[in-house]
Amino acid sequence: MNTKTVRSLAAATALLGFSAVSAWAQDVPAGYPADYAAIIEAAKKEGTVSIYTSTDAAQSQKLQDAFTAKYGIKIAYNDLGTNGAYNQVISEAAASQVTADVVWSSAMDLQMTLVQDGYAEEYASPEAANLPAWATYKNILYGTTVEPIGMIYNTKALTEDKLPKTYADLITFLKDNKGELQGKVATFDPEKSGSGFLNHSNDAKNRPDFWDLAKAMGDDGVKIYSSSGGMKETVVSGENVIAINIIGSYALDWIKESPNLGVHFATDYTPAFSRLALVTKGAPHPNAAKVFVDFMLSKEGQSLLAEGGLPSVREDVSAGLNIKTLNERVGGGLKPIAVDEGVLEYMDQMKRVQFLNDWKAALGR
Amino acid sequence: MSTHAQAPAALPMTKAAAEKKYPAKMPRHGNASVYRTVVIGLLAIAVLAPVGLIIYQSFLSAAFFSPRAKFGLDAYRYVFTDRNFYKALGTTAVFSFGMVAIAVPLGGLLAFLITRTDIKGKRLLEILVLVPMFISSIVLAFGYTVSVGPTGFVSLFIRGLIGFVPWNIYSLPGMILIAGLSHVPHVYLYVSSSMRNLPSDLEEAARTTGASIWQVSRDVTLPMVLPSLIFAASLNILLGFETFGIPLVLGDPNGIMVLTTYIYKLTTLFGTPTYQLMAVVAVVLILITLPLVWAQRKLLKNARKYVAMGGKGARVATLKLGRGGQVIALSIIGFWLFVSVVLPIGGITVRAFVDAWGEGVNLFAQLTFANFDHLLEVPSLVRGIINTVILSVVGGAVAVGIYLMVGLAGHRNWGASNTLLDYIVLLPRALPGLVIGLAFFWVFLFVPLLTPLRPTLISIFVAYVVVGLSYGLRLLQGTLLQVAPELEESARTTGATIGRTWKDVVIPIVRPGLAGAWALIMIIFLREYATGVYLMGAGTEVIGSLMVSLLQTGAMNTIAALSLISVVLTGAGLALALRLGAKIHD
Repeated sequence: MNTKTVRSLAAATALLGFSAVSAWAQDVPAGYPADYAAIIEAAKKEGTVSIYTSTDAAQSQKLQDAFTAKYGIKIAYNDLGTNGAYNQVISEAAASQVTADVVWSSAMDLQMTLVQDGYAEEYASPEAANLPAWATYKNILYGTTVEPIGMIYNTKALTEDKLPKTYADLITFLKDNKGELQGKVATFDPEKSGSGFLNHSNDAKNRPDFWDLAKAMGDDGVKIYSSSGGMKETVVSGENVIAINIIGSYALDWIKESPNLGVHFATDYTPAFSRLALVTKGAPHPNAAKVFVDFMLSKEGQSLLAEGGLPSVREDVSAGLNIKTLNERVGGGLKPIAVDEGVLEYMDQMKRVQFLNDWKAALGR
Repeated sequence: MSTHAQAPAALPMTKAAAEKKYPAKMPRHGNASVYRTVVIGLLAIAVLAPVGLIIYQSFLSAAFFSPRAKFGLDAYRYVFTDRNFYKALGTTAVFSFGMVAIAVPLGGLLAFLITRTDIKGKRLLEILVLVPMFISSIVLAFGYTVSVGPTGFVSLFIRGLIGFVPWNIYSLPGMILIAGLSHVPHVYLYVSSSMRNLPSDLEEAARTTGASIWQVSRDVTLPMVLPSLIFAASLNILLGFETFGIPLVLGDPNGIMVLTTYIYKLTTLFGTPTYQLMAVVAVVLILITLPLVWAQRKLLKNARKYVAMGGKGARVATLKLGRGGQVIALSIIGFWLFVSVVLPIGGITVRAFVDAWGEGVNLFAQLTFANFDHLLEVPSLVRGIINTVILSVVGGAVAVGIYLMVGLAGHRNWGASNTLLDYIVLLPRALPGLVIGLAFFWVFLFVPLLTPLRPTLISIFVAYVVVGLSYGLRLLQGTLLQVAPELEESARTTGATIGRTWKDVVIPIVRPGLAGAWALIMIIFLREYATGVYLMGAGTEVIGSLMVSLLQTGAMNTIAALSLISVVLTGAGLALALRLGAKIHD
C-alpha cells in the first residue's frame, strides 16, 4: 500500500468539497481530519484488529458489534486478564511476533509500564480533545472509562441510613460495629489483585487516614478476596455484610438484579480508575488499531461502553452513566486517578514491598 | 505364523546373507529399540523443553527474554528466605497427605464394590462416581460454598434445625475433606481398570474356603491391585501439590496459603509478573516429584509379581454381597455421592439458575434463564464451548493414540530409556497448570517452526497431552503390564516381530482399556483450566480457561452457567463412552 498516493488522493477528495462524495469519505466522522479517510481505507484493507484486554467480552460486546458493523473490520478479542495481557505483549515483542494491535486494560500501572518500556506507539487520536485532560497521556495512552471505587452491602443486614457518609465515618462505623461486623467485612487482597493494589495504594497516597481504615478492617477480622465478583457473591449470600473498595461500576449493574445488594459511596471521597487503551509498537494492523481506539473514544463508542456498564469519560454521552452523572450518583466526591507517571509510584519494588508489609501489619497478619 | 513356516533355515548361512535373504520381515534382533528411542526421545523433548525453560528461568534475575536478565541465584535467595514460602510448603504437605489419606482408601473401596461384587445399579454407579472429576476444582469449591458455605442452602437448613452450622469449609480440614472426596474418582479409575481385568478364580477360591467378603478384598484383591493403588496414591500426592482451585476459593479469604496460591500471588506481588520466582517454586515442586517417582519405581520393580491376566480364563465373575452387604455398600456409596456430587453439583445448578442466593433469599423467586441467555449472546463464550468439545472428544482420542504409542515404547523395556520415561511422565503433573501453560506459551512463541501453531488449538492440545501424560500413560501402562509375558513370548518364539506381537496380541487384549482411557482423557481435557490461560486467544477459547479469566472480574453468573454446561457435556460424553466401552467388553 502506497500511503503517499492514498494521502494525495484523500487530499484531492477533500479539495473537491461537499459535492464530491466518495464511497469511503462518508465514513469520516465529523471533526476528524480529512486525511482520516485514508486511515479508514487502510484499516479496512487490514480487515481485522486484535485486542488484548482484561474486559469481559460481555461488557464490550455492543462496542465490538457496532465497530464491525460500521467498518467491516473483524475483532479478534482476547480476554486475557490484566497480567495475561501484559505478559503476552512483552513476550510477543521479545520474540518479534507482535500480534496485539490494541491493549485495553484496567491495570493503569501495567499500561503505563508498557508505555515507559517502549511497547506502545504514539498516536494522536482526533477524539483526544473530547476527553478530560487527566484521561490522556502524551498522545499515547487514553482513558476510556471512569469507574468508581465503592462499597457494597447486604440490604438485609444493613440499611442505607446506617451507612457511613464520609471516609472518616467509615472508619468510625467499622470501629463502632466491631461486634456485628466481626468476620463479615470483605476487601481486595492487594497481594493477589492488581486492581486491589491500585485501589488501596491510591487511597494511601490521597488519604492520610487510610491506615486507620486498614487497622479498623483488621480489627473486624476482614476477609480478603482477589476479585470484585468474588466479594459480591459473599455479600449477596450474607456471608459478608459489607465489602470495601470494590469496583463500583460493576456494583451499579449488580444491584439492578440482586434484590438484597446495595451499593454505597463516601460523599467526600470516591476515587475512580480508568481502563486505558494504547496502540502497540509494531502492531500488525496499525490503521485498524487507530480506528478502533478512536471509535472507542467517540461519542458512539462511549455510549455503547456505558450501556455495557462502563461509565463514560465524556460528558456528552447520554447512555448509561457519564463522568458528570456518575459524580452526582456517588455524592459529588468523584476523584479520578490521573493517567500519568503517578500510577508508577508503587512499581518501585522497595516501595511496593514496604506498602504490602505495612498493609499486613495494619491488618494484624 | 507364516513367517515361522518360511524360516526352517535349512542351509547354513552367514549373518549377512541371512539379513539379505530375510529383510525387515524377520525378527532378527528381537527388539524395537529404534521405535522406542524415537518415541521416548520425542516425548522427552515435548516434556523437557518447557521444564528446561522453567529451570533456566529460575536462575535468572528477570524474564528470560528481557535484556536485563542476569544469571544468578537471587530468585532462590528470595524464595528460600521468605517466611511465607515455608508456611505455604508446610500447609501444602499437610493438605496433600490428608487428601491421599481420604481419597485412596475410599477410591479403592469403591472400585472393589463396583467391579468385583454384584452391587446393584452398577451401570449407573459407574457414571455417578466419576462426576466429581468432571468439574474443575475451582468450580467444585464454588459449588460447595453455595450449598454448605456459611450461608449455603444446606447450612441454613441445618442451622434452622439445630441452631448452628457444625462445619466450616473455609478451614484446612474443610479443604482437605473436600479435596479428598473430590479426588476419589481419580483413584477409582486407576484401581477399577486393573480390578476389572483380574481373573476371579482366586477370589472365588477364597470365598469357597469361607473367607468373608472383606477378607477377600483385603487379602486377595488388594495385593493384586497394589500397583494401581501405589500409582494412584503417588499421583494424588502430586495432584495435592498442584491443586489450585480449592485453596484459592476456600483457603484464600482466611489467608490459608499453599504453594500454588503462593505462585499465583507472585504474578501480582511485585506489580509486574516475577517469572523467576514462579520458576523457583516450580523447580521446588520438580525436586519433590523426583524422590516420589524413585520410591514408586523401587516399589514396583518386580512388575511380574502383579501379572494377573493370563492367556485364558480372564472372565470376571462377581462376588455375592448378600442382602446386608448390599445395604451397607449402597449406603456408603450413597453418602459419599451425596457429599461429593449432590452438594457441589446442587450448588452449581442452583447458582446457574439464580442471580442471588443466601441468607433471606427465596431461591424460587430468583429462578431465571438469564445467565444462559447472556452467555449465548457472547460469541467468544459460545466458541469456547465448541472448542472445548473438539479438544476433548477429538483431541482426547488422538491423545489416547499417542499415549498408547508411548506406552508400547515403554512396554517390557528395562533399559535406560525406560528409566527416563518414568521420570519425565510425572514431571509435568507436578507443575501447576498455570506455570506449564506459560512455559508452553513461550515455547510456541520463541521456537521458530512452532510459531504458526500458537494461535491454533494445536498448541493447547500439545500442552494438554503433556499435562495429561501421567494419567493417560499410567492408565495404559497399568493395563499393558497385566498382559502376561508368556503370551508375548509365545508370539515372539513363533517368529512374530515385536510390532506384530503388539498389533496382534497386546493391543487386542488391552483394547477394552482404550475406550475407558479415551473417556478419562476426555474428562481431563474438559475440566482442565489453568493450562490454557496463557495459550488461548481469540478463536481458541476453552471453557476452563475462560472461567479463570472471568474469575478475575468475578462474573459468577457466567461462570456458573459455563460450569453447568461443562458438567452436562461431560456427562453426555461419558455416557456415550461407557456404551461403547460396554460393547467392547461383551
